[in-house]
Amino acid sequence: MSSAIIETNGLTRSYGDICALKPLDLLVPEGEWLSVMGHSGSGKSTLMNLVGGLDRPTSGTLRVGGEELLALNEDGLARFRREFVGIIFQQHHLVPYLTAVENVMMAQYFHSVPDEAEARHALERVGLGHRLKNRPGELSGGEQQRVCIARAIINSPKLLLGDEPTGNLDNKSTVMVMELLKELRAEERFTVIMVTHNQEVAAWGDRTIHLDDGVLVREDRLKVEGKAG
Amino acid sequence: MAILYKLIPHLLSWLGILLVLLRGFPVRRTVVTVTGISGFLLGVAGALLLFRAFQGATPFWIIKSSLGVGFLCLWGVSVATVYCSTGRGAMLLWGERFATGSLSAGAVTGITAIVAGAVSACKIPGADGNALAYMALVLSACALTGLAPLLEKLLPASFKVSPSGMLATLVALLLFSSSSILRLDLFSPLSMKVMKGIHDFVHQFMESILIPDHLFVRPVVWKYIGFLFGKEVGFWGGIVIWFTPAILIALAIHFERLPSVAHIRQGAQRRRLLAAAIRERRYRLFIPALALLIFAAAAYQSSFPSVEYWDPKPLPVTATPSGEIIIPKRGEVDLEDGKLHKYIFKQGEREARFFVLMNPAGELTVDLDACAICKPDGYGQAEGTVICYYCKTLIPLETVGKPGGCNPVPVPFAERGEGVVIDSMTLINSWGATVKATVRAKEGAK
Repeated sequence: MSSAIIETNGLTRSYGDICALKPLDLLVPEGEWLSVMGHSGSGKSTLMNLVGGLDRPTSGTLRVGGEELLALNEDGLARFRREFVGIIFQQHHLVPYLTAVENVMMAQYFHSVPDEAEARHALERVGLGHRLKNRPGELSGGEQQRVCIARAIINSPKLLLGDEPTGNLDNKSTVMVMELLKELRAEERFTVIMVTHNQEVAAWGDRTIHLDDGVLVREDRLKVEGKAG
Repeated sequence: MAILYKLIPHLLSWLGILLVLLRGFPVRRTVVTVTGISGFLLGVAGALLLFRAFQGATPFWIIKSSLGVGFLCLWGVSVATVYCSTGRGAMLLWGERFATGSLSAGAVTGITAIVAGAVSACKIPGADGNALAYMALVLSACALTGLAPLLEKLLPASFKVSPSGMLATLVALLLFSSSSILRLDLFSPLSMKVMKGIHDFVHQFMESILIPDHLFVRPVVWKYIGFLFGKEVGFWGGIVIWFTPAILIALAIHFERLPSVAHIRQGAQRRRLLAAAIRERRYRLFIPALALLIFAAAAYQSSFPSVEYWDPKPLPVTATPSGEIIIPKRGEVDLEDGKLHKYIFKQGEREARFFVLMNPAGELTVDLDACAICKPDGYGQAEGTVICYYCKTLIPLETVGKPGGCNPVPVPFAERGEGVVIDSMTLINSWGATVKATVRAKEGAK
């Protein structure tokens, strides 16, 4: 088994009196596709935000890619997010007045320096070579999500986080996006953590964990590699 | 206490020099500290010896020459840096090797410290009788040398010093230090040389050769030609020469080639290396930018010196019926006190300004309050010199009374009994001829 990219021990996150994530011990091997399922308010997004360095735990330890995130200051966390993590949101969060290629270049800019040729190539890889100069408003939901994927992988992250990335998409687009992620993962060998409500989407992963009220209640390891459609 | 106050700019420059050297030679801290303080003390002692060994302007000339040589070196290095930025690897390697050696650290620190010490010592008037002031200077410099390594550690790590940037800052700090001493200031003489160079060119080329009697040039055209004779052109010409080396170094750094990353396959890694190189290059721009600021401060200090000139209001004098102006040596003022005493003589609508001064050799001189070159803005006296207000040329007191250049135009006189006797017609005519010759050309510029 490959080494763990994520390792948590007694990881908790509370907001005042509300405990969104109760002590959680979790090990994610490098290269795994982990699906996280649960009802609304079960702690899925909280877990993803903690792992992605977007939030800080209340207690416990959280080691991602060999770095103890609790020990990092704000600058260290920003560097961690910039160089280690790629995130795909349900709501896309694309800049509406920038073209597809410019949206991808913006991620390059915050990482290091923009490189248009590389950004074009990334969009071509996600099948949007013909939509480079279109703004988000001129793209379908599936196409916008593919721009998000190109933006998320442009800086070669070791960890790709998806927070309901197919939540807004129809079945056809969902399958297209998941197949694309599968291909990219095979090429780039990044680890995927996918938060979803959808059983079919979760089935694309190697393993699924179920959270309920901040507690890990069940874990399913898939015997057959995920498929859909 | 007053002298300590006057030494503040020099001590600040010294601290700046140490900080730049410590950051420029990070693995030679001991060499920089020990050579620095030794050189500074040597510079102070050397200046004292110079003042004892030579009279008049010679010690200042020697120290000023070393500053001039430093500025010329900076010009050479800045041009070489631009050349290197075109990708001459051999020169870059040579420069890097030079920059890290202990011999170069000692040499650069030693030379800079000697000049800094000598310049600081020049601020203290008189080589004798100021032992306390010298002691205060030396002790302050020692304390700052001890403090500098601690302060240097507080500077951000991104504060990078390239060899050329270091030289630019060191020269800028030395020139800033010297710009508060009239006889060591380089910027005003530089501006003056530019102005006079243009003046000579225009005069020789246009007036003397092409249009000897101004047959074709109307007064309105002279207004524009006159602009070239003005001190503003000298000032801006001086500014260009003053700032160019630091600007060249900044441009060389800005346009420096980035390392080749084409062999790196992963785009993100390639861009990360490029970004790091760009960031590092940007940080190295800070030092030439700082040098530019210090050069600007030096030019400002030179153009608006905080020196109080001795500039008495001209006393009106009259002529006797036989046309003689008689000024008693010890009347209202003491003509033999070594100070400049100004007078104004009016005859009808004509007038002439002149001054009487006893030079250090004990000889009285009578001169027009104007020279043969500049507009008659007059002279002031400070720090063993008289200064032309128009072109800021310093004239050592020893040479006052001798004609030529920007020296005040001498006026024939006689010492009779207890007075100085000047022929009023000679004075008026001399003033008229001088002012007529100089004002005509300068009018366009003013």
